[in-house]
Amino acid sequence: MSIDTPTTDNPFRNEPLSLDYAVETPETVVLHYQLAGPAVRMMAYMLDFIIRATATFVISIIVEFAGLLAPGFAMGLFLLWLFINGWGYYAICEGFFHGKTIGKHVLGLRVIHENGHPINFWMAVNRNFIRAVDSTPLYIPGLISMICSRKFQRLGDLTAGTVVITERRVRLPREPVILEKIDPIPLNQLNQYKPDEQTLAVIGDFLSRRVAVDYKRGHELSRPLAHEMARKFQFRGDPELVRKFPMAFIARIYVTFIRNDQNTDPEASTTPSTEPKTKLPVFITTENWDE
Amino acid sequence: MNKKTFMKTRQPAWEEFSELLAKRQKAKRYYLSGAEVQQFSTLYRELCNDLSMVRSRKLGEDLEAYLNALVSRGHNLFYQSPPVNVGQFWHFVFVDYPRTFRANWKYFLLASLLFFGPFLCSWVAVQIEPELAERILSSEQLEDMSTMYSEESVEERRDVSVVQFGEERSGMFGFYIFNNVGIALRTFAGGILFGVVTVYTLISNGLVLGTVSGFLLSEGHGDRFLSFIISHGSFELTAIAIAGGAGLILGHSMIHPGQQTRFQALKTRGVDALKIALGAAVMLVVAAFLEAFWSPADIPNFFKYTMGSTLWLVVALYLMFSGRK
Repeated sequence: MSIDTPTTDNPFRNEPLSLDYAVETPETVVLHYQLAGPAVRMMAYMLDFIIRATATFVISIIVEFAGLLAPGFAMGLFLLWLFINGWGYYAICEGFFHGKTIGKHVLGLRVIHENGHPINFWMAVNRNFIRAVDSTPLYIPGLISMICSRKFQRLGDLTAGTVVITERRVRLPREPVILEKIDPIPLNQLNQYKPDEQTLAVIGDFLSRRVAVDYKRGHELSRPLAHEMARKFQFRGDPELVRKFPMAFIARIYVTFIRNDQNTDPEASTTPSTEPKTKLPVFITTENWDE
Repeated sequence: MNKKTFMKTRQPAWEEFSELLAKRQKAKRYYLSGAEVQQFSTLYRELCNDLSMVRSRKLGEDLEAYLNALVSRGHNLFYQSPPVNVGQFWHFVFVDYPRTFRANWKYFLLASLLFFGPFLCSWVAVQIEPELAERILSSEQLEDMSTMYSEESVEERRDVSVVQFGEERSGMFGFYIFNNVGIALRTFAGGILFGVVTVYTLISNGLVLGTVSGFLLSEGHGDRFLSFIISHGSFELTAIAIAGGAGLILGHSMIHPGQQTRFQALKTRGVDALKIALGAAVMLVVAAFLEAFWSPADIPNFFKYTMGSTLWLVVALYLMFSGRK
């Protein structure tokens, strides 16, 4: 492990600032994770802090009462708790619950190894023992290290070789419902140009997230693409459609080339469904998808 | 085939895969059957393929994010490390830790010099010249020490029932864990700051302990004091030096990383350092137990000295020979 270690692994190397963290797996697939920044991690810390403080408070009340019977024993228990609270809470949580503490769980954070796989017990202990240095005073060393390192690692992360990521909850993207009501553009208004898959995918993504902006902004955002499309198609339809409702125009383009590609609707004779299917890009012809 | 048909054909496989993941994740103790493992492996590779294709064809970020999340969940399940169990703890204590300790004995040697050197120096100096003690500790602290080990107070503390003794001393047990293990772990962690904190902690603790020892001996409390510390000192003092050694490993990899970058060195050597520090923590728990219940017990000093010497021998033999093939 000590041989041949080029400087490419330097955590403080200059790179464009981004939350994206890419890891190549043994299956030669690159996985993308989203790193967690200092602010959200501090929120998780505060949450954990509240939990720990509450637990300590409850235990101190119990100890207070137990102290009436056996003051020494109660004090011993309380100090033991303080020790576990200070040195063990994070290590135990992260070591046994897949890199999560309660606060991290609530905020959707998780500690993983730099190679993308889950952390083991040693790493959890390691990164949380070094916490003593990171947190003295007031987490300033940890914050400096996080700001300076490329992957927002505090000193404990650098020692254990871990990163904290945000777990994204993603669902299978659905076709925008609205598309069902949109008519394709008649073929005679277009020339032979075919938009590639990538362009159509961008339009699809855009339309499925349409609700994020209002109509005005939506049209504004789609205008450059709509104009470019109209130029490429030498669009012979109503120019008002492109000019005033560019979003509707690209939606109709999308519908024209996506929906009708499946040849499910024999009635749609006005649409380019009669185009031979092979003209569209074919991904992997030898692949049997049913398997 | 476009995005829509692609999704339509592949969706059943993706759903099957996420069901498999959910099944494994929900029940902690549920292990996949042989057939399921096979299914998992096939589906996982298929999904990797799907993800690569979606990415290279740029079939939309939403779909890519979805597949990315699914594949990373599968990846995490597949490359999970086995859970820790109790058997591993004993293996660690009797095999792993002493071996790691011996592999890094030079750091321990340096830490011992940094700890026991000032310890012995200040002990000798203070015993010859007791006024020097006030340069290290305040006179109130010294007075407290002196009364604690005076004949009357030691007798008084021993003059209690067994139950009361155990009850009082368990409070001290908690304190020793909280305080001593905390110091050892801070000594270790501080090593990351180029070893400065570790060296400082070792020297200052050595000086204070030596001063206290020299002062109490010059005050004539020698027998009561030495019989008290000899037993738990074997584990406690050694463990402090060992934890210091672990801190020095971190410091050394920051100062002189060799062929690696600083943080690579920290990662590779940090594993050993952590094991050593954890082992020291376990030793300090043993020490806390001895210090709380054995050392202050009402037992003739002869037994305490015998037991104490035996324990020093045990610690030495343990560190030198345990886990050796």
